[in-house]
Amino acid sequence: MKVREATADERRSWQDEFEAAARRPLRQRFRYAFIRTYKPVLDDAPYRSFDSMAEYRAWCEANLPSWLGYGRGV
Amino acid sequence: MAAAFEYAQAEEIRDVFARHGVRYLFLGNSGAILLGYPDTTQDADVFAEKTPENGRALVGALRELGFSVTEDRASEIERGKDFVQLKDGPFDLDLVFAPDGIERFEDAWQRRVEVEGFPVCHLDDIIASKAAANRVKDRETLPRLLAFREHWQRTR
Repeated sequence: MKVREATADERRSWQDEFEAAARRPLRQRFRYAFIRTYKPVLDDAPYRSFDSMAEYRAWCEANLPSWLGYGRGV
Repeated sequence: MAAAFEYAQAEEIRDVFARHGVRYLFLGNSGAILLGYPDTTQDADVFAEKTPENGRALVGALRELGFSVTEDRASEIERGKDFVQLKDGPFDLDLVFAPDGIERFEDAWQRRVEVEGFPVCHLDDIIASKAAANRVKDRETLPRLLAFREHWQRTR
């Protein structure tokens, strides 16, 4: 898979973020990291199981809105 | 929909899974966050070893944590589905038994990183898993995660 090259500005900005995060205790990082927003379809069933990851990926492609980013297409 | 995952719940996973002898690793964004990666996510991803014994231990641990694990669900977890999403417990939890990009649990276990007692996949495994999954959201995340790997390797 081809990964996009980060720009110099992005790298500088991310480096600042990494250093700021490193100064926070893990408990605080958790508070900032785990958020709750409703994801249509994905959050609408209490339980799902898949025999294979390929089956799960195919289900995501077929059922989830593309803007959630779970598909492989652009 | 459960409330946001909290540090205390991660501690509960760690402690209850340890009591039940569950072999697992934090993976995905939740694993990267444990390693220090500043990002946002919704649920915890756990890479569990796919054996009947571990499945049974996992079912016991999940029930103790407050997840609704019916007999049918328990049977699926013990039999070894590759991916299970639990969204009716105290927090949302994804159980991954065969993540993309990681060949064997034992290899990932040997490479694991311990953070405050949390067993976490090595960052290289988290990156390999996202690269192999190759979803739109993984492709968006990877440049920043790769930059974090440089920072992490320099500072750990």
